[in-house]
Amino acid sequence: MSALEIRNLRKAFGGLQVISDLDLRVPSGQRHAVIGPNGAGKTTLFNIITGWQPPTSGEILIQGIPVQQGRPDLVTRGGLSRSFQKNMLLESVTVLENLRVACQAFHASRHSMFRSCRSFSDVVRKAQDAAEQMHLDNVLQRNVNELSYGQKRQLEVAIALCAEPRILLMDEPAAGTSPDERANLIRLINGLSSELTILLVEHDMDVVFAICDVITVLSYGKVLATGTKAEIQSNPRVIEAYLGQHHA
Amino acid sequence: MQLFLVQLLNGVQLSMLVFLLAVGLTLIFGLMNILNLAHGAFFTMGAYFGLVVANKTGSFWLALLIGPLLPFVAGFALQFFVLQPLAQRGRSTHLDLALLTFGLLFATAGAVEYIYGSAFHSIATPDFLKGRVALLGIEYPLYRLFIITVGVAIALALVLVIDRTLVGAKLRAGVDNREMVTALGININVLFALVFGFGSALAGFAGVVSAPVMSVYSNMGIGIVVTTFVVVVVGGLGNLKGSFYASLIVGMTDTFAQAFLPEAELFAIYALLIVVMIFRPQGLFGAAGRIA
Amino acid sequence: MSAETTLGGSKWFDVLKRVPPWVSHRASAVWFLPLAASLCTLPSFASGYAMTLAVEVMIAGVFASGINLLTGYTGLVSLGQAMFLGLGGYGIAIGTALLGWPLWVSAPVTLVAVAAIAAAIGAICTRTRGVEFLLITLAFSQMFYGAAIKLRWTNGSDGMSGIPRPDLSLLGVNADSPSTFYYYVLAVAVFALVLLWRIVNSPFGSILIGIRENERRMMAMGYAVANYKIGSFALAAMVCAVAGILQSQYTYFVNPDSMSWQASGEGVLMVIIGGANVILGPFVGAAVFVVVKQALSLITDEYHLFFGIFFMLVVAFFRGGVLGAINTLIGKRR
Repeated sequence: MSALEIRNLRKAFGGLQVISDLDLRVPSGQRHAVIGPNGAGKTTLFNIITGWQPPTSGEILIQGIPVQQGRPDLVTRGGLSRSFQKNMLLESVTVLENLRVACQAFHASRHSMFRSCRSFSDVVRKAQDAAEQMHLDNVLQRNVNELSYGQKRQLEVAIALCAEPRILLMDEPAAGTSPDERANLIRLINGLSSELTILLVEHDMDVVFAICDVITVLSYGKVLATGTKAEIQSNPRVIEAYLGQHHA
Repeated sequence: MQLFLVQLLNGVQLSMLVFLLAVGLTLIFGLMNILNLAHGAFFTMGAYFGLVVANKTGSFWLALLIGPLLPFVAGFALQFFVLQPLAQRGRSTHLDLALLTFGLLFATAGAVEYIYGSAFHSIATPDFLKGRVALLGIEYPLYRLFIITVGVAIALALVLVIDRTLVGAKLRAGVDNREMVTALGININVLFALVFGFGSALAGFAGVVSAPVMSVYSNMGIGIVVTTFVVVVVGGLGNLKGSFYASLIVGMTDTFAQAFLPEAELFAIYALLIVVMIFRPQGLFGAAGRIA
Repeated sequence: MSAETTLGGSKWFDVLKRVPPWVSHRASAVWFLPLAASLCTLPSFASGYAMTLAVEVMIAGVFASGINLLTGYTGLVSLGQAMFLGLGGYGIAIGTALLGWPLWVSAPVTLVAVAAIAAAIGAICTRTRGVEFLLITLAFSQMFYGAAIKLRWTNGSDGMSGIPRPDLSLLGVNADSPSTFYYYVLAVAVFALVLLWRIVNSPFGSILIGIRENERRMMAMGYAVANYKIGSFALAAMVCAVAGILQSQYTYFVNPDSMSWQASGEGVLMVIIGGANVILGPFVGAAVFVVVKQALSLITDEYHLFFGIFFMLVVAFFRGGVLGAINTLIGKRR
């Protein structure tokens, strides 16, 4: 059973077919990238996988279980967590609080209305561990709006990790980062558990090649090719799609 | 059967009045993302100004023509001198501005009460539109038919202007990309203020038009504006077509409830609102619901 | 066309999010003890007028605190909270005057009923956001207002009178006396305050705050956000209902005006003035509001006009409320 399986996915917005007959199988533990020019349907694909948008037809299975549309929270419960392309952080609270709230999501304490948050020390400790994993332990008490952009991207991923997912979806994690920040991010992602399945959307090929074993190329909502770096780079249809992009 | 027909026409007539109010509100929101909670004030303003004109000149038609001018100017000024500068300086966002107009609602309610007191006034129906007309086996007041005609005419005109003309295109462009439109040399602030003025003028126009069939009094804006809010939410905020159809639905619901189930009259439109919100929270014609 | 889009980079909510300066720990130490002391001993040194003002401030503060939970902490700006204030008052009136139940029965029954109604209304309203939510809460409160005016068995617009104050004879005191009633209201207000403080600092409270900050992210984290919004709505309604109960006991009377949009607006203004998302904010806002209202009514009959202008100025210019403005004038200090 694959960690993530997508069958015959189609998505149309009115008359515009954004995704056509997309099949994708991501085995457990794989580091998989989805690349393609703008408009290829990558973010739409992510939105459908995580339940933010319904597909026109087709199936999404997370660890064998179909995704219930319109319920992103259940998707996370099902073991798939996502980081966003634009930072989606709890802006006016601290880094620690962001992580603590994220770690609290599946903890029994979330129903508590009269005990202080801090009294649930195991949640706080989990948050601190998550921070450590993404090298944010020295800015725990800072407010989110005081962080650098690179740190915010790290936090963005850290929050997604708090859900202890089996599958991590990252939507352009390196978007807008400086070379140093990018290298840092790559190092941190590669340091994550090898049992974690990762599906990545990226434009930056350095990030893709540094992290991923398998690459799927999308163009106009269809899969052009799936394979290793070498296979993709020598694939004539991929070359044509990218060179064609250049000329257009 | 006859009673049904009369109520049907009454329903359409009420719908058209509400439509004139709703379309201004939803136009302003759809194009500029501003919710003017004090919209009812322009309705009242138009009615009172029309009253003044009618009393001075004795002419209904002049009242109809000049009455909406005051709300137009007031709306233009509000947008150009108050709302726009606040929005642009980044000090206020859409919700802040909506709260601001809520404060305006307080102020105008107080001001109207102060200036005019709580007496009831009326504008006389013009001779040309007096009397009844034989229609499909019933006799129906000509003036109410006039209201229906005016409403439909304005609806058609709006659709034409927004979708087909250059002005409409500029407006739609201005909402999508302010900087670009300004760079193209179009003064978007003036355009937005004109739209706001126009939407307010429509409300004022509705005020004058309604005067012969409803009374003119200081709280006249409040009652009808809540119905307008229901219409605008049911139709989908920002959706012109939606506000037309929703006005029809709400107007009919209200009229038929009043006629056949007087106890439930009040709840009829709220029940409608509830049902629509349960099944289509974005409104009947609103953009497909976001999950969050 | 989303009501969530922002202008000038600011979040759509800033008027409600800033923490006023008087909350800092240093400031707290300075004013808290003297304030607590004066509150506890007020009847012994204050005039009758001052005591009535204090009672009004506390009742308004409880009302505004309910609004704050929904608006300041959860980020749902409602212009209809007065419907629950009114329902609280009417609930007690119906329970005691019409049904003849003793107060210790009517009050809890009223609160439970309000919670149930609020949950139902909340389930519908929270399907919308931002400006649509504003409109729909306003519409619902107008519905209740209209119902209160029309219903004959609650005396329509004349309202219901003869609402009893609590029977405190077990404690040997009579709630009809102003100073006893003052202490009763003080006790309820403090209890409500402490309760809200606990809730806001609890995991549940942190989820509400998270929803205000970034609702999508909260969903992505795995929270069933809709349920929490409804919960917040119901809780806020109950707190507003408590204020409604106190209000009707204070005046021995309730009428539809307590459910009007004006009342809702006054409540929201108190929250904005005092600083939203701060536990004591609503009470400070209530104090400023009541005092200004009293002052205005001495000067002019045109309360609504000036109130409206005041409201607009506060929303437009006083980020962080009136006190935030003072803070800006004397220079920022954290």
